[in-house]
Amino acid sequence: MSPHAKLISSFSLILGTTITISSNHWIMAWTGLEINTLAILPLISKSHHPRAIEAAIKYFLVQATASALVLFSSMINAWATGQWDITQLSHPTASILLTAALAMKLGLVPFHFWFPEVLQGSPMTTALLLSTVMKFPPITILFLTSNSLNPPILTTMALASAALGGWMGLNQTQTRKILAFSSISHLGWMTIIVTYSPNLTLLTFYLYSLMTAAVFLNLNTTKAMSLTTMMTSWAKIPTLSTTLMLALLSLAGLPPLTGFLPKWLIMQELTKQEMTSAATIIAILSLLGLFFYLRLAYYSTITLPPNSTNHMKQWHINKPTSPMIAIFTSLSTLLLPLSPMILATI
Amino acid sequence: MALTVTLLNSAYLHGRCCRHKVLHPLPGPLLSDSMSKLYSSYRRPGSQPEKKTSWQNIDFSFKKGIDVLKTQLSMLKKETKDYVIGPGGLPLSQYLLEQTRVLWVFRSQEDLNKWVISSDVEIGGKSEVYLKLGRNNQAALLYGTLNTEVPRDGETKYSGYCSMRAKPPVGSFARKKYYDWSNFNSLYLRVRGDGRPWMVNIYTDPYFSHQKDDLYNYFMFTRGGPYWEEIKIPFSKFFLSSRGRVQDDQHPIWLDKASFLTLGFTIGDKVDGPFQLEIDFIGLLNDRAHTEEFAYETYEKNPRA
Repeated sequence: MSPHAKLISSFSLILGTTITISSNHWIMAWTGLEINTLAILPLISKSHHPRAIEAAIKYFLVQATASALVLFSSMINAWATGQWDITQLSHPTASILLTAALAMKLGLVPFHFWFPEVLQGSPMTTALLLSTVMKFPPITILFLTSNSLNPPILTTMALASAALGGWMGLNQTQTRKILAFSSISHLGWMTIIVTYSPNLTLLTFYLYSLMTAAVFLNLNTTKAMSLTTMMTSWAKIPTLSTTLMLALLSLAGLPPLTGFLPKWLIMQELTKQEMTSAATIIAILSLLGLFFYLRLAYYSTITLPPNSTNHMKQWHINKPTSPMIAIFTSLSTLLLPLSPMILATI
Repeated sequence: MALTVTLLNSAYLHGRCCRHKVLHPLPGPLLSDSMSKLYSSYRRPGSQPEKKTSWQNIDFSFKKGIDVLKTQLSMLKKETKDYVIGPGGLPLSQYLLEQTRVLWVFRSQEDLNKWVISSDVEIGGKSEVYLKLGRNNQAALLYGTLNTEVPRDGETKYSGYCSMRAKPPVGSFARKKYYDWSNFNSLYLRVRGDGRPWMVNIYTDPYFSHQKDDLYNYFMFTRGGPYWEEIKIPFSKFFLSSRGRVQDDQHPIWLDKASFLTLGFTIGDKVDGPFQLEIDFIGLLNDRAHTEEFAYETYEKNPRA
């Protein structure tokens, strides 16, 4: 892609994100969301393959609908209460519409169908942007409006997301779709706690972004778009294969690794709020994801698969491994001892 | 060049045929309807008028509804069990290690029912095509006569094509089933032809209708001999054509979500006369020696310098 186009797209992404997270008027929030949607479309469809264009069209349609719903909900609230402040969303209809809009933006369960297909059609780095940067403004809006949202709806969507993210990720053979379903189930964890402790939502989101960036950049280096290519990367860069396993287990939430921290804090907060059954259910549902990650780790790193690939791009590693992989992987596996300091601030 | 255009035209026109009817070998071509009926009331000369209107075909019987529901529910149960086993019903280790897969094999009439044959009778031509099981039920025999006589309706310039297409796979409750062919890089066909060139078409059912005419084609040249041939066609060689015209902006087929993908064989080489093709099986192969990613236009199209 030409450097000018890349520059404009990336600047617009940063602009849109900044506008939304620093806004206190609904129109500014909506503006930032729209700028983000439009800016990432050329990044998704840059290869001009029909499937990439299909992914871009699907992304645009869903996000435009969600933005329209955000605008409708803010207008209903403005009509009823006379003010456009984001934190003062008091009208119940507006609140429910906004919940639906944010669920569409994020990819929470009844509105998740676009997410795996869009991720599958876009290149690996754009898929990383879609999972992390594009989720940041809607999560910020969720954080800002958390005191006026409807807890039963959010809990239902969260449990369903954790369930579906785990169940549908079981048989995927394309790595981007696997990461899409992992994103959906992590969003479930983020959403279940937002009405009780919004700081935990943000913490989960930040740690999830770290871990998923580690995995995406790792897969981008070995160009592992499908499972068979991922399994053969042990021959090319063995250390990268090991760190991939650790990052995947961290995503799954296994204890000595960072991914355990948000899950632990969320379950603790849920039990404090007398939502023990929700905590139990979501913990059990994340076992599905754990099964899948363990199977991946087993087949890729613990046993060395005998298959080889003739996928030529995997052997053409011209550029050196990005240093960001090292940073993100170390952060995503070793941050658990920080938990006492985090507990103090929750 | 003209041959290419004819073949491509035939592949495209054939794509508009009625996909879900299998023609009986004997009166086959005489019974096929014209697709243009669905869009306008103009009936092409040579095609048969519809005897029964579509609303008279609906069957309201309750018992049949219950039977259909039972079949669909049992298919759904089987799909859930396969889902628990692994991708595509096979355990993950088998998926990772497989190098060949047989897709269609022709040993019985139900295997033949998975394919639809058509010819230029739809546009008013005179070619005939039939499909039956070969000797000892060991292969499928696609045979007929190609006739390049142009139908006299004032707008058709070329004619003479026959083809066979696979029906797209449907799961329970008529949902689309997706293939994952990303482990493989070639198509493997065991055929015995008569020396005529065929064109293999792959249609990947796109989600939006902008690309519904896109077809990936490549040629299959058969020898005439009494020996069976094993033809390997790598997927990197398939070129993109839309509505019968080869496109400028070529790209390789993405095999990961080969959703609703149908395979077809077309003959349209402008030679009048009989043709015959026996197909034993059609499969996929991961050819380790084939390292080409894509055969066309691998240079940078808009160089920055």
